[in-house]
Amino acid sequence: MSTKPKILVFSTEKISDPAIDLAGLLKKHYPNTVYTISVPCSSGIKPRWIMQAYEKGFDGVFIAADGTDCPYGESCVEKTSAIISVTHDLMRQKGLKPSQLKMAALCSVCADAFVAHINNFTKELAKKDN
Amino acid sequence: MKKKIGVYVCHCGGNISDYVDIEKVKDAVRDEADVFLVKNTLFACADSSQKMMEEDIKTQGLDAMVVASCSPKLHLNTFRGVAQRGGLNPYNYVQVNIREQDSWAHSDNPAGATEKAIQLVKAGIARAKESEALTSMKIATTNAVAVIGAGVGGMRTALGLADMGTEVYLIEKSFFVGGRTAQWGSVAPTNDRGDVLTAGLFNEIQKRSNIKLFTGAELIEKKGSVGNFDIKVKIRPRGFDGNATTDEIQKAVKACPVSTMDEFNFGLTQRTAILIPQKGQYPQQPAIDKALCNQCGACQKINSSFQPASTNEEILSLHIGGFVANTGFDPYEPAKGEYGYGEIDNVITLPQFKRLIELNDNELVFKGKKVKKIAYIYCVGSRQDDDEGKNKYCSRYCCTSATHTGVTVKNKYKDVLNYHFNRGIRTYGKAELIYGQASQQGDVFLQFTLDSIPQVERKHNKTYVKVKDILTAGKTIETDADLVVLVTGMVPRENVELGHLLKIPEGRDHFFNEIHMKLKPVETVIDGVMIAGTSQAPKNILETLNSSMAAAAKVNSVLTKGELSLEPTLAKVNPGACTWCGKCAEACPFDAIVQVDNEGKMVAKVNEANCKGCGMCTPVCPTDAIDLDGFTNAQIGAMIDALAEL
Amino acid sequence: MTDNQNAAATCLDETQFDVMVIGAGIAGAESALKLGDMGYKVLLVEKEPSIGGKMILLSKVFPTLDCAACITTPKVSETARHPNITIHTLTEVETIQRNSDRHFSVQLNKKPRYVVEKDCTGCQECENVCPVITKDQFQFNLTARKAVYIPFNIANPRIALIDIENCMLCGACEKACPSNCIDFTQKEQQLQITAKSVIVATGFKLFDPISIERYGYGRYKNVITSMQMERELAPTRPFNNVLRPSDGKIPDKIAYVFCTGSRDHTVGNPICSQVCCMYSTKQAQLLMGALPMADISLYYINIRAFGKGYNEFYLQAKDMGANYVKGKIGKITEKENGNLILRFEDILTGKVTEKEHDMVVLSVGLLANPAITKVFKGEKLELDPINYVQQPNMLQSPAQTSLEGVFVAGTATGPMDIPDTIMSAGAAATETSSYLKRLS
Repeated sequence: MSTKPKILVFSTEKISDPAIDLAGLLKKHYPNTVYTISVPCSSGIKPRWIMQAYEKGFDGVFIAADGTDCPYGESCVEKTSAIISVTHDLMRQKGLKPSQLKMAALCSVCADAFVAHINNFTKELAKKDN
Repeated sequence: MKKKIGVYVCHCGGNISDYVDIEKVKDAVRDEADVFLVKNTLFACADSSQKMMEEDIKTQGLDAMVVASCSPKLHLNTFRGVAQRGGLNPYNYVQVNIREQDSWAHSDNPAGATEKAIQLVKAGIARAKESEALTSMKIATTNAVAVIGAGVGGMRTALGLADMGTEVYLIEKSFFVGGRTAQWGSVAPTNDRGDVLTAGLFNEIQKRSNIKLFTGAELIEKKGSVGNFDIKVKIRPRGFDGNATTDEIQKAVKACPVSTMDEFNFGLTQRTAILIPQKGQYPQQPAIDKALCNQCGACQKINSSFQPASTNEEILSLHIGGFVANTGFDPYEPAKGEYGYGEIDNVITLPQFKRLIELNDNELVFKGKKVKKIAYIYCVGSRQDDDEGKNKYCSRYCCTSATHTGVTVKNKYKDVLNYHFNRGIRTYGKAELIYGQASQQGDVFLQFTLDSIPQVERKHNKTYVKVKDILTAGKTIETDADLVVLVTGMVPRENVELGHLLKIPEGRDHFFNEIHMKLKPVETVIDGVMIAGTSQAPKNILETLNSSMAAAAKVNSVLTKGELSLEPTLAKVNPGACTWCGKCAEACPFDAIVQVDNEGKMVAKVNEANCKGCGMCTPVCPTDAIDLDGFTNAQIGAMIDALAEL
Repeated sequence: MTDNQNAAATCLDETQFDVMVIGAGIAGAESALKLGDMGYKVLLVEKEPSIGGKMILLSKVFPTLDCAACITTPKVSETARHPNITIHTLTEVETIQRNSDRHFSVQLNKKPRYVVEKDCTGCQECENVCPVITKDQFQFNLTARKAVYIPFNIANPRIALIDIENCMLCGACEKACPSNCIDFTQKEQQLQITAKSVIVATGFKLFDPISIERYGYGRYKNVITSMQMERELAPTRPFNNVLRPSDGKIPDKIAYVFCTGSRDHTVGNPICSQVCCMYSTKQAQLLMGALPMADISLYYINIRAFGKGYNEFYLQAKDMGANYVKGKIGKITEKENGNLILRFEDILTGKVTEKEHDMVVLSVGLLANPAITKVFKGEKLELDPINYVQQPNMLQSPAQTSLEGVFVAGTATGPMDIPDTIMSAGAAATETSSYLKRLS
């Protein structure tokens, strides 16, 4: 693989995507091999999408979850974790490491937190591949 | 599948083009399948650019459009508008964010930013290819609201709604409107009388033809969703129909053999099974308390308008668009023995004391004895910080109410002495002036902590209150008192059934819970169901009115247009693949998924009026039979493929 | 609709409105939104260059600790995008006069921005080249800004303006601007509009503690106001950490002085400001999170934690280790190293005590902002004895004022917190809509 791990981020339209926008606005840098797909709510992310990303060559998937800020209700937290654990099972079956999937709740101005998470994740993925 | 896609890449002045090589991006996507044209713009959002795109859609017959520019949060709606004006469905438009999430985020790495831009635009094209035209569904709504509870808040909600043109059904459980406020005399901070306030509101309600008031009424059934609820209201027989003179009513009351404590005076007096409206309670017509009436018929003999045997319960079916729950509070009832309550005769609650003031015109007398020294003990039933499961909250109104009562009795009876045993006076805002007034008139303020609460004792035929006062460095101070007034807090009114019926969630404090204290303070997670007044949290009258009118504004703004436009990005079930396991219905926080018969097979169906488009139902489906419009497997899958490609 | 979109979407008549809302803080924005949603044509007038008032500048808000920006920005952009709302920023109401048809004739004074609103893209190239450095009022003077500037990152509209007082007219910005939108020829504009009703949502003023000499604000560098601390803690904050001004050191013994400018007859404000106990408690919680080793002492008279979840929030701060001291500060003195000695009577012991801190935050109160009364011609908008807009029917119709057709929302009526403000704004919307229905 290339020197920089490729990461797919699932963000949420109302909460975490604005945080990622803010990171850009404040010119806080992170690797350019990080791509974002924005969905309404992190508990609507299908495990098959995540699996497809690995299959097609992404090294890591990062779920920028709504957490308790979710506009659709607090059950989001629980449901998003359920998706993660289902996906972890699928990943094990395919011989992928659970650490290739990360999740963190990001508020809508958590730009610093996003950049820190992504930079750490990139480092971790790069290390593991060596 | 879309076959004629127009792609526009924006320079955004230099915000994008300073870091991203626009020509390179154009070249890279020009030959993508189904891309019909690729153009660059200095400012895609500028009027001239928008016109150009509209023209392109019309003259070139584009069937989808992609703009790569700033964040969709800024201009998604702008370009959806462009698409629409050009004749495209707005949902065949895709925005690609190459500014916030590319040129700016990677301004340190222009080559990398260009690479990423190419991938992002390709993913946008892939998504546009798979995009489908969506139309907002519109549902007709009914501009009518059921207001539950006719205290000062409920009546104000009703008036506000009626004056804005909404039909109101005002539903009150008891036989009289007026709620708690009717029970109070002088209230803070204006010294208005509670019963005068409720009388004023009732008079106004009488003048509105679009308010239908039901007393002795309860909501018993609710179906439907925002804009269109079908409800059933049960109206209990009043047991009085017609007219009777004051004299006849008094005679009937005398003749009634039943005796019980009078809730209006919080048990300071007794009443019969004939309920007589008090000052501030309306309609000014008696009613019969069926639970206690022994059907002796004595009242009916005096005037045949009294109908104790009447059983004609009425069930009304109403069609409405929304609810406001204005169900109010109950005063905290101290436990037996709490500060001597229920054990020592002259220990009463603040609500009882406020009634006592109303019952004693010239001289303050309790149980035949003149009252001079009054000890108020604060935070009874509130701020129970130490015990789990009790009321940790502050009841908000009580410090102001108790200090105001201190001022009121001093003015009314002159020679009383007030001792306030408090835990730090919380007369917030302008109520500070009332605290100042109480201090100035000579009221004594002593402060205790939860570790050493005041002791109320009966000695030598007198009641004493003793406290370790932190304002005098912990000195123990004792005083005798003719009356001990427990400044009791607010607890949510017993209305579990209504909460269940309307599915209103409760907070940790058991009051009804709003969605968001600041963004949506009167809205609940159930669309079309508002909460107001003290049903949501303790409040004073002013705050109750504000919240009641805010609830009116909110529900009116939803219903006044007569139709609701629903977001078209909804969940969709593929009935062929669905095997009805119920998991999606379970995952849905909005009750939007129901089980239906589809040609002999049970499958899930989305109730479009309830669906919010969150997609929570989609990952849990074991047969992948449910998808979210705009975020379908086809669309997301195509994007992932395009982004992964290198 | 923001100013720049206005120009694009040429409206038929931009001079006649159902309602004019004065002040685009959260009270004004909420009233405007509710009335806009009901279908009324609303004009929202704001004297500052951007909307969102004080709330958008806060860090997090009690008791939920949501970040203020996160919950204000959606409201603000919804307001700006609303098809029934027209916004004039940098605009002051000069006069309001009632006509014979009961409508109001209003004269507005729109200050020049020296930047063409519809063309500015917020790229900040102008800021980069501007040679002038002056105090940044949106960071409460903690940091500096240029003479041409965007008020703050999440400002709406997020476009530049020129502070002409401080501008040297060097023209550097003009050359740097990629969309040629700098325009030094702009003049003040007098706009005439009519409105059928008015909502006063002019908010509050912050107490300026410079008048309490014994606290040393303005003389002692490490004595700051709670609003300055609010900015130090905000996501769009000037520094990346909490710093004390004198030497940029991270403080580790911070004191809060409650009731600064509230409950104080000597400064002419006898009432309680209703929010300071809670915002100080919130800041204490945030500080304990940001500076885990720091010692936070809060000197109070009474803790007014009265709203939903507030008492619980106060208990939580105590549990986290905030040191609440019951005592009123008599005097603050500065040591050579910039540390501060607080002298106070400790109520619990009854003794006068001194304590050293390396930073002091004055929990400043809220004051009335009565200037708006002057614009009404031929009639008087009555104030209450402490200069807030009087509510003659407070317990019947709290949004009514002494003038028919003029309503009031939010802290213009007295101190209140955000949830109360939102509800009061909703009440004003109901009252205004009812009035407009009666009028037609």
